[in-house]
Amino acid sequence: MYIENLFKRFNVRVPANRQKLFEQFMHEEFNVEAVKLIMEKHKIIMENWELKVRIEDILAKQLIIPNATVAKPYQEALDFNQPEFMEISFIAFDNLDQYGLNFNPDLKLIEGIPNQSGDFKVKMKFKVFGEDENSEPNTKMISLVINADPKSLWKNIASDDQKDKTWKEQHYWKPDQVEDFQKLGSKHIVVSSKRGRSHANVGAFREDDYAFKHFEANGWSVVCVADGAGSAKLARQGSKIACKAVVDYFEQNLTDDNLRQFDEILLHHHQEGGDSQPISHFVYNNLSKAALYAHQQIEGFAAEINHPIKDFHSTLIFALLKKFDFGYAILTFGVGDCPIGLLNKDLTEIKLMNWLDVGEFGGGTRFITMPEIFSSEKFPTRFGFTLTNDFSYLMLMTDGIYDAKFVVEANLEKLENWKTFVDDLKGNNEDRAAVSFDVSNQEIAHQLSAWMDFWSPGNHDDRTLAIIF
Amino acid sequence: MRRLPVYFLIDTSGSMYGEPIQALNNALSGMVNTLRADAQALDSLWISMITFDREVKEIVPLTELPSFQLPEITCPQSGPTHTGHALEMLYEKVKLDIIRGSSTQKGDWKPLMFLFTDGKPSDLQLYREMLPKIKSLNFGAIVCCAAGHLANDSLLKELTPDVVHLDTADSATLKQFFKWVSETIEQGNKSQGTGESVTLPPPPSEITLII
Repeated sequence: MYIENLFKRFNVRVPANRQKLFEQFMHEEFNVEAVKLIMEKHKIIMENWELKVRIEDILAKQLIIPNATVAKPYQEALDFNQPEFMEISFIAFDNLDQYGLNFNPDLKLIEGIPNQSGDFKVKMKFKVFGEDENSEPNTKMISLVINADPKSLWKNIASDDQKDKTWKEQHYWKPDQVEDFQKLGSKHIVVSSKRGRSHANVGAFREDDYAFKHFEANGWSVVCVADGAGSAKLARQGSKIACKAVVDYFEQNLTDDNLRQFDEILLHHHQEGGDSQPISHFVYNNLSKAALYAHQQIEGFAAEINHPIKDFHSTLIFALLKKFDFGYAILTFGVGDCPIGLLNKDLTEIKLMNWLDVGEFGGGTRFITMPEIFSSEKFPTRFGFTLTNDFSYLMLMTDGIYDAKFVVEANLEKLENWKTFVDDLKGNNEDRAAVSFDVSNQEIAHQLSAWMDFWSPGNHDDRTLAIIF
Repeated sequence: MRRLPVYFLIDTSGSMYGEPIQALNNALSGMVNTLRADAQALDSLWISMITFDREVKEIVPLTELPSFQLPEITCPQSGPTHTGHALEMLYEKVKLDIIRGSSTQKGDWKPLMFLFTDGKPSDLQLYREMLPKIKSLNFGAIVCCAAGHLANDSLLKELTPDVVHLDTADSATLKQFFKWVSETIEQGNKSQGTGESVTLPPPPSEITLII
């Protein structure tokens, strides 16, 4: 048959009188063997071609290995379910171990703990079914991205690195970290404010601030926390002025007459209950003036140095508190996204003293520097008041703490979240960082600062937390 | 955790064929590597890429940077530039992708958009129809980059005040441009007041800001 076809291809015709001779020719041993050999070679050629195509298909097909991260245990199965990869009979990797990884041929897994970051090409050696066992394997280069360990990428550059006193004054410098622990009337306050990793990473300033004061003369205390907007050039100064202004305001304006009247109203309210309007009136009158004073102080400063007030954008929360025979009166004001939480004595109740200005988009909030907040119909709702026998903690915090620990506004209303938060403060956390709430604990401010170094992916803003207990 | 979503719209029309698309691939790869080494970006950045020529393709859906893999961008040898159609796809994607803040979920940072083109929209009517819709999405920044002498700056100006022009789309210039893009992205996650947008860092000398 093969020889007949061969003859046809070469246009060799076998006439009838040579037919017998042709039959004999076809059956000559040499020819039979030759045809057999040719057929075998044909087969090999065809198989080889098919093999080449299969190998080429594998080389051309993108094999995606999911990205790895340094120090994070990695285990990914290679996706060999695609038809092209079904043909693979053998796989080995050449240089995986230098990245801290190895290939598990039984389970077709790449696994290990990556030890260096970068955009690498790894050599995958493979054979397909039908390939000679002794042949050299084929090589396919595969991209492997290993991300750096995010913790290792953060730098800590001091904001006053190699800067002198004049520079600091000119740039409204403030320390990257401050902390304090003081008696505050009949309670104590521990507070810490530290620069977020995002600022430390680029040697930028701390934008948060706080201030507090106890007025011996009348028994009132004030605690303020402010968060300067990351996008405003002089926000660090805005938050500082805001806090200082509120303390100054109450220092000057909590006058005897005014207060005596309020004390009477409170006592009356405590004894008789009922109409709370005179209280609201006092709260609104006094706190709104303090807030406006803070706004005006910033406005004045901005005008003085010829900067628009928006360069000083800062949120502001503050609480006034005083112990009476019948309990504590707590008055609050807030603009922005920093919460004030009051936990009762036996941690069975949480009162969120303010609502938060949370925008549709991250970071979109309102500031004490925005004149429109004072004329908004929502302005009167920015004030809080409560009368309580006693409390365990009154906390004021910036979003650097709240974003990481409470995540969303709704969680601030939930007692469970606050209990978890208190447990966390007391050492129930990954780093075993604990704050011991004991008034004789001289280390308490350091402990709070150390606790505030907690790691939370994506939450690297400045952190300020004031706890009255 | 707050995400910073960044959308890249990349012109892959015929005029990009050859060296320009090669240069673009290199520059994008450089940019992604730069961002990968940035602590903040690694934590919060999400990237999406849409290419447009005759066809519009979402070549990478919105993906967090640690998992992001840059595909090789290719383009046909000839064909129109369907910028309007690309904006239409962007509009649909952004509406679906973006998480808005509420009392029970953390909102994204305002998304950023970078459009790279070396020509002008072939589907001008659709392009103009999409302009107000795109603007309504409240991007933190929209930056258009016009490369080469055929790119039309003034049409891009209708989309955003932030238009930059590159005289050539060679490798060095593109690298500079995307380095600047990564700096802009690094600015994108800072707290802003309601309604304010991202401030762009000063561009390098190879890039001309179109006033």
